[in-house]
Amino acid sequence: MSTIRIQKLTKRYGSVLAVDDLSFDVRPGQVTGFLGPNGSGKTTTLRILLGLAAPTAGTAAIDGLAYHQLPDPVRQVGAALDSNTFHPGRSAAQHLRVMATATGLPRRRVDEVLGLVGLADAAGRAVGGYSLGMRQRLSLAGALLGDPGVLVFDEPLNGLDPDGIRWLRGLLRELAAQDRTVFVSSHLLTEVAQTVDEVVVLSRGRLVAQTTLADLVARTSVVRARTPDAARLLEVLAAAGLQVRLVDTSTVEVRSATADAVGVAAAAAGVTILELSRQEEDLESLFFDLVQQNHQNQEVAA
Amino acid sequence: MNGTLRLARAELRKLFTTKALPVSFAIAIVLAIGSVIIDAMVAGKNGTARLGTDADVYQMLKFGAITCVVMLILGILAAGSEFRHRTIIPVLLATPHRARIFAVKVAVIAGLGAVFSAVLFGLGLATIVLTLSAHGIHHLPSGVGTLFAGTVISSACFGMIGVALGALTRNTIGAIVAAIVWALFIEQVILATIVPGIEKWLPTAAAIGLTDIPSPAHGLPPMTAGLVLAGYAVALLLAASRTTMRRDLA
Repeated sequence: MSTIRIQKLTKRYGSVLAVDDLSFDVRPGQVTGFLGPNGSGKTTTLRILLGLAAPTAGTAAIDGLAYHQLPDPVRQVGAALDSNTFHPGRSAAQHLRVMATATGLPRRRVDEVLGLVGLADAAGRAVGGYSLGMRQRLSLAGALLGDPGVLVFDEPLNGLDPDGIRWLRGLLRELAAQDRTVFVSSHLLTEVAQTVDEVVVLSRGRLVAQTTLADLVARTSVVRARTPDAARLLEVLAAAGLQVRLVDTSTVEVRSATADAVGVAAAAAGVTILELSRQEEDLESLFFDLVQQNHQNQEVAA
Repeated sequence: MNGTLRLARAELRKLFTTKALPVSFAIAIVLAIGSVIIDAMVAGKNGTARLGTDADVYQMLKFGAITCVVMLILGILAAGSEFRHRTIIPVLLATPHRARIFAVKVAVIAGLGAVFSAVLFGLGLATIVLTLSAHGIHHLPSGVGTLFAGTVISSACFGMIGVALGALTRNTIGAIVAAIVWALFIEQVILATIVPGIEKWLPTAAAIGLTDIPSPAHGLPPMTAGLVLAGYAVALLLAASRTTMRRDLA
């Protein structure tokens, strides 16, 4: 069981602060989404984690070790960072055989992963003729080559067709079910919402949230309660510290609360509830709200 | 098998799975054998040396120019294309030891340069021997061994210089153009004009000192030329390894 630990990580490129005092853990046995808008520092964090860039301060470790200290990296960590890391003149099989030769993996493993990612039929073709989706699959094959316990994928759904997306979601779930640590970055929450158990949300290089997806949705969801005594319910919920507003004479809207919490508070105060419904807020708006909130906080702090 | 040998095998696999190596080797062999045949055909005509004389055989044995250019280009491609095609990323993910990867790449290219130049020299020499035998000439000048050693050493050095240039520039086309402009123009014309006498201490002239007819009056003796060329290769490799070790990969 392997754990990724990011501690007080900072990366500065000249005057640009790409990652700012970032700390979080990624646990095994689940899929963890690494979310943030483009330029929020996700890829920089992953590159530092994988030893491709040096941190300005802080550490990024896998099982307590920096990437270059891992005794057998290819069997411990598999990473797919970019779908354009292939020589266009080599075939997929040749690319993977180079990796297998360098790391002492058996040749049959190349055939296995090519079959696993659905590239067996195209294995002998030059990668220069591959579609983006095929290159993405080859990148995933490279990550899986050493059958590692930790998998790091940067925007893995880019370029995949709907079938490919469904396949990859299943694969990610399967890998997590095998007790592996699966860490997947994306700039779209909706893209990974069906797959991730936990999310780490980044904005302008800073941690905005680390929580389960269910909790994130609950924290930012909107619940509407229809009641014959809206004024009383408004008063009760406000006293309970919830964000409330009156929608109309019989409807109260509550933000960042579960329907259960609203129901229990109303029952305790003896207020009749005629209807209680959670408004399915667009996940992307929710994500945007979180990020915007962080921007505003940073501007106020500045 | 230990990690370094595995990396060396992987480097060779990389080289032999792209078209650059077989195409450039094939062109070099055709040029080498073709030049021997043409030299033999024109020997003794228009003021050229008579067939089978020492001067004529030395003229035919100038294979070093071909192998040095080929190995310079292959060295640049071996290092530069890792950055151009971003294959350096899977390489470093599999083996996160930059110094070892760089050292193995240098050793493989130098070794390949030595073997290839030896084979090409052997093929060229065999062609010369067959051609001379056909004309009833059965002797070779005494400097063949020196030229063979010079060709092998200079090819290995130019391969290493190519790796250094590829790693420093990370731009294969730019590095190849810059190397050609340096050898043909900057070294031979500009620097030779600005600082008379310096040209023989520069890389191309040092290579000529190793691979051409020994002429100490105009150039460096082979031993000195070899040391000068190796010095340039080491200096460039040190600069390249320094940047390779420190550079963030975006």
